[in-house]
Amino acid sequence: MKDLKYLIEFENLLENADNELVQQAQAEGKLAVGYTCYHMPEVLLNVPGCFSVRLRAPRTGSIDIATYYMSNYTCEYARSLLERAIEGGYQFLDAFAGVDACGAMNRCSEHFELLHVNTKPNFFVTHCDIPYKVVDYTVEHDVRQMRKRFLDVLTEKYGVDTSDAALLAAVEEHNEVCRILTEIGDFRRLDNPPLTGYEYHILNLVSYCCPKYLILPKLRETLEEIKTRVPDQKPWYRARVEIVGSEIDDPSLTKLVEEAGAFVVADRYCYGSTPGREPIELREGEDVLTQICRHYMEHSECARYISNEKIQQRRDTADRLAREYRADGIIYEQMKFCDFWAFERPLAGHILAEEYGWPVLSIDRPYNARSSGQLRTRFQAFVEALEIKRIQKKGGNAE
Amino acid sequence: MKYPDPKIYRMKDSIDWKLQKDNLKEFGGIAWQLLKETDWKAFGKKQLTNAMLTGRRLAEEAKTVRDMSPAERLDLLVNGEKRLGKLYRSGSMATVRREWRGVTDTAVDFWEWTKLWGMLLSSFSKDLVPAMGGVTWYRWMISYFCCHSFRDKNVMGLRGSALKMHSEMTYQIFRYVAENLVLLMKGDERGGNCKDLSKKVVLFDEMTMGQIMAGFPDLVGIPYQLLPVFLLSEIDQLACMPYIDAVESYGLPADTCPVPTSESGACVIDALPHLGACFISSSMPCDGSVMASSYTSRRFKDLPTYHLTFPVRYEDEETLQTGVLEIQNCIRFVEEQTGAKWNWDAYFTAMKRFNEETRFELQKWEVNQTNNPQLIGPTYELFRKWNYEMDGGLDPRVLESFKKVNRLMLKAYERREEPWPGKMRHRAIVWSVPAHYYANFSNWLANCWGINVLVEMEGLNFTRPLETEDHQGALEDMARLYERMVMRRHTNGGYDHVLTELWRQVEIWKPEIVIMYQHVSCKNMSTLSGMFEDQARERGVRLIWIEHDLMDPRTVSRKDMRGKVNEYMRTVMREEPLDPSLLEFDDEAAW
Repeated sequence: MKDLKYLIEFENLLENADNELVQQAQAEGKLAVGYTCYHMPEVLLNVPGCFSVRLRAPRTGSIDIATYYMSNYTCEYARSLLERAIEGGYQFLDAFAGVDACGAMNRCSEHFELLHVNTKPNFFVTHCDIPYKVVDYTVEHDVRQMRKRFLDVLTEKYGVDTSDAALLAAVEEHNEVCRILTEIGDFRRLDNPPLTGYEYHILNLVSYCCPKYLILPKLRETLEEIKTRVPDQKPWYRARVEIVGSEIDDPSLTKLVEEAGAFVVADRYCYGSTPGREPIELREGEDVLTQICRHYMEHSECARYISNEKIQQRRDTADRLAREYRADGIIYEQMKFCDFWAFERPLAGHILAEEYGWPVLSIDRPYNARSSGQLRTRFQAFVEALEIKRIQKKGGNAE
Repeated sequence: MKYPDPKIYRMKDSIDWKLQKDNLKEFGGIAWQLLKETDWKAFGKKQLTNAMLTGRRLAEEAKTVRDMSPAERLDLLVNGEKRLGKLYRSGSMATVRREWRGVTDTAVDFWEWTKLWGMLLSSFSKDLVPAMGGVTWYRWMISYFCCHSFRDKNVMGLRGSALKMHSEMTYQIFRYVAENLVLLMKGDERGGNCKDLSKKVVLFDEMTMGQIMAGFPDLVGIPYQLLPVFLLSEIDQLACMPYIDAVESYGLPADTCPVPTSESGACVIDALPHLGACFISSSMPCDGSVMASSYTSRRFKDLPTYHLTFPVRYEDEETLQTGVLEIQNCIRFVEEQTGAKWNWDAYFTAMKRFNEETRFELQKWEVNQTNNPQLIGPTYELFRKWNYEMDGGLDPRVLESFKKVNRLMLKAYERREEPWPGKMRHRAIVWSVPAHYYANFSNWLANCWGINVLVEMEGLNFTRPLETEDHQGALEDMARLYERMVMRRHTNGGYDHVLTELWRQVEIWKPEIVIMYQHVSCKNMSTLSGMFEDQARERGVRLIWIEHDLMDPRTVSRKDMRGKVNEYMRTVMREEPLDPSLLEFDDEAAW
């Protein structure tokens, strides 16, 4: 296939948190609001005058200083962010919209404050309290938290308009990004798709890490390009897989899977498109913020939600996506030292295999997975296993 | 009304005898297999070696006494022995003999020991058959046979009033344990199979507080995993390893906290009794506990479950209303599942008791903050946690015990007694996830180095009197209380509760040393380790970091834990131990 016009540019944008588009937007007077978690509604960070940057720590090397502060048995993602923050890598931020959802990320954001990693006078860190289940009063709780701990502070510190009209404008922009990425993502359903899982991962990630108004034109153009892109004559992959689990902001993990011969057709993980790229459907007659909060709570696939219906939702979504995108198997992954996914992965992995009938590869992985020989071998073995299953299904004939 | 209601024990069992027969057959098969596989020659050799060692020990002890001056002999007779390391024997589960504490205290010790046995026997005799059967169903039941060892190790070296107070508190805890074990086995489908009881049982998730049950006096609240997992591991540190191994074989990574890991493992191998009208699962205290609930739900699919979840940022009073609604919904759930009705009068009566107990607790703190602390050490800390979390004012007998202990404590304070006579060298407080019980650590600190633990982080919880008149105020206070359950300080609500709070407590308790338990799998705590270091240095506070992994001694052994203190005391403090026999000893297999 011919290379996508913007692929290299997009890859470069992912090399730094304060990439060219972030710098451009700040030069145009916009405020950069960092965040890490789906529980913090992205759309709230994109009210006019602000833009969201989902924080990553690309090209992470040593995390020794963060390890001193947070010890070595803790989430590498949280530690990598702290290391980057201490190095001054998030000095460009005007605010950090944190949530008290998981222990490691909460402590990471607390260290942002304790170690004064950002010296801007109005810089602030929020700690929004996130509920464990979705019922009327927990939605109301979430709304109060978002209003009091984030939106009101944004207004107070920077004079940002967070009225319903501002939120509506942000939702509109957000929905366009979602529609484009959903349309692009749908090409992955095809037998011989005009894009790879890696490319989709890059497109999706830039939509999280760059100002929406600057990335939107390029995404629109890329969609048009993909519509007419001619795929190779024969599909390049040996098996189709869905990746499910905890945070992945490292596209080289997808690349590693695809180098082993598996096409990543669906991504149900944090920083992926499910959840994250579903348009927010608003209706009249109800407060906009409440609708936004409910949307995020209902769509969340976070293992932190304890109630039975959310546990079931997580399993059903993984199954539904695998069926809709015609996956041959599921890779259930977890960031090393993440407690939520450490417990979720084995149980859900067994259930998806035993009750839903999916071949499942269950792995834990480092934050930077690219150089992991062990993972490469496991992906290769999984692809072979999927191929063998396919052969067995066809009664022992390879073709 | 008598507590617990005697009617509960008299409910009719419907034991499935065929099931018992099959189980006994399997149990007998395993026992036979073990007997067959035993290397009797090696066993005989070991007994011979033990007999020889015993002979040698007796000869040595006789020689030591012979070599003593008359004054030393009198001291031994009156005050007891001072080399406690000699009580341990490498590879043995039990100590070689009981501690000699001097004539009076040995008599007190023996009386308390006998009293404990009496209570256990009378409790189990309330429904003996299912309880005995439980031993053949659940391996964890067997570990309760060593509860006396747990009591003994926790009072090692104590004399005078301290010995009496600690024994009294242990008695209260074990009575609760025994009564609940009987009920668990009675209601268990595999045991007593008492349906009438099962319909009245409300099961609670790990460490979820019991106060809510005060409003349901006709029901029985049982902390589900407390007896088969959590308390068990404190009595016998080796008991949870099969659970941990089971769930790790299932795919759980080895870096998670052994508490939810063991609970999940117990579900995987079906080691929890099957009973109850409903289950109250909880988001507390930490991320691991949240997730362990899904393993329980998976094992007990038909058990109606309410997920009791509280705001994480609980100091923010604006979040309180959510907590209140959670409590109200939980009450409604219990009513729906059991048919029982919430009783405000019963709740207020129990909470009035709990408030009084809290007042007694504060009196203990007051005494311990002086230069003559009295009620210190692991038993006190365990009692505090048990009373705060599990008893919660429900059992009227506990209040009487409080009164007795505080009477003893005040008298001891007037007499300026020393709980560990001659071993009161350093004041210390314990911070972070405590590991006293697994490793008998506070006791060892006192006996070996004279480091006396005055209080621990998990004991410093909510002490505000709870509302006992107004319904709305009572619900709000209950929410506040639950939000401040044990283990929540370091897991929820931000660093202020645990980091800044330490410096506040250091001001109050004036310790020379802070014992920092570094639980290697506790992410919430270890993610603050650098800040503790930095801020302790700024303030000139001495921290002794002691790594541990709670009920998994394979990660960090008790010996390694003690090694950290030995190293610090010798190299930094330049001190020699009070009891050198406790510097190095092998208790790897000990209860």
